[in-house]
Amino acid sequence: MSDIVSAVDLKIGYSPSTVLANIDNLQINEGEIISIIGESGIGKTTLLKNIAYLVKPISGKLLVFNSTSYPQRGSVGYIPQKLGLINHETVYFNVLEGAVCNESVFRSITGFHEEKVVDTVKDSITLMDLSHKIDEPIKYLSGGQQRRVAIARTMAQGPKLILADEFLSELDDKTANSVWNIMQEYVKQNNITLIIVEHNIQRALLADRCLKLEKVTDSSSSILVEVDK
Amino acid sequence: MNFDKEIFLKRKKYPIFLFLIILTTGFVFVDLVDGDWKSLENSLDNLSVFFYESLWPPNWKVLEARSYPVCDRNWDILCSPAYIGIIETLKIAFVSTGLGFILSLPLATLASRNLNRDSIAIPFRLLLSVMRTLPSLIWAIFFVILIGLGPISGVMAMTFYTIGYLGKLQYETIEGLSKDPLDAAKAMGLTNFEIIMRVVIPESANNLISQLLFMFEYNVRHGSVIGIVGAGGIGYYISTYLKFLQYDKVMALLIVLFLVVVIIDFLSIKARSYFVDDVSFKYPSFFQRILRRK
Repeated sequence: MSDIVSAVDLKIGYSPSTVLANIDNLQINEGEIISIIGESGIGKTTLLKNIAYLVKPISGKLLVFNSTSYPQRGSVGYIPQKLGLINHETVYFNVLEGAVCNESVFRSITGFHEEKVVDTVKDSITLMDLSHKIDEPIKYLSGGQQRRVAIARTMAQGPKLILADEFLSELDDKTANSVWNIMQEYVKQNNITLIIVEHNIQRALLADRCLKLEKVTDSSSSILVEVDK
Repeated sequence: MNFDKEIFLKRKKYPIFLFLIILTTGFVFVDLVDGDWKSLENSLDNLSVFFYESLWPPNWKVLEARSYPVCDRNWDILCSPAYIGIIETLKIAFVSTGLGFILSLPLATLASRNLNRDSIAIPFRLLLSVMRTLPSLIWAIFFVILIGLGPISGVMAMTFYTIGYLGKLQYETIEGLSKDPLDAAKAMGLTNFEIIMRVVIPESANNLISQLLFMFEYNVRHGSVIGIVGAGGIGYYISTYLKFLQYDKVMALLIVLFLVVVIIDFLSIKARSYFVDDVSFKYPSFFQRILRRK
């Protein structure tokens, strides 16, 4: 199994004077489901953003797909805490946003989409049981439906690595478990690596490995430790 | 009951602040008048004399056909200075708002700090700021000198001002967008242009349309001013009548302009209400059906 994410002596945060977390060593393999837990404001989201190349590390080495340069178009799927959907647009438009990663920029901008791209969008929407909502704007969907749209967008994108940031929060247990099961099944079937930030400990422990960011005494920054299951 | 001075001052902070503003305004005003209160005493009398002797009643001949060129239309009003002037003002406002919108949107995306580095965003902000600093009237004088008298100078002047004004509204809207959709798109590896086309414009479309309608309404009002320096529109006729001291005709044109602005204001507010997000209830609209926005 090859490394999808590896980090050595990594310091993350938003300025060198306020390092949020020190990560001595981190290895995440292909097809693994990793959950990250920890208190609020400890650096979980910042770690995901570093892996997604949205924030630069303060120092240290971070390799994603064995490279320090920006990953190939479409290879990283990121589901932010508030999902990052375009609220005024339809389910179809939002899922298409993920699928356009698999075609040229010219086609994506001009709207002359390849047939297979359109088929992928429709398949992902059907798989998430949202066919009847295909033309509905996101703002009119329930929380659970919106999360399914975010998953459908990621499915249509077909990434090798998915980063999901507390995307099950604000859902009741039944809906959260159902969305979590769909996600888990999808990543296992397609050998995709999933890194999920999760507040619910029980759900976090369902992952292959559970990592915890925790404060160290005498230090303002946190460290990453593996939780024994 | 004990009198707690600290709590009293805390509670009374805003009234005290308001009182200080009024007091300061009063002092500055007295300083500006500099003892010349007589000029103010006469102003109301002057206004009433000017109004009844020169402005009232309005001269509705402005709604009759001009003597030259000969009117070849079915209704006289279609050849009247009021109609010709107001239609030209509306045309100038329409074209300059459209052109201004098309040109300001790319500039606004370049000036947005959430889409670009500061080294790119700040020069474009400065450019928009320069365009906004000069009022449309000054732009009109500039273009009348460059191009000559007529509506094209008006269109150019209004377009330049629209770019500066609308550009600022647009980049502030773009910067106010939620970070999450942008982050998701960046992480996917979409290019900046794709992010603008697929995320920024769709997510801010309601606000952009609302601002466009507001700008049209604004340009109609200001279109009348730029005519005074010869840049076309109803302002051209207002300035001509002013030169010949025909204040009653000026009054009639101002009433026509006022009515048109009120109608456009009303239509614009109605149209904008369909594109503003924070409206809890909306009637199924004609605009929504046309533009397929729910």
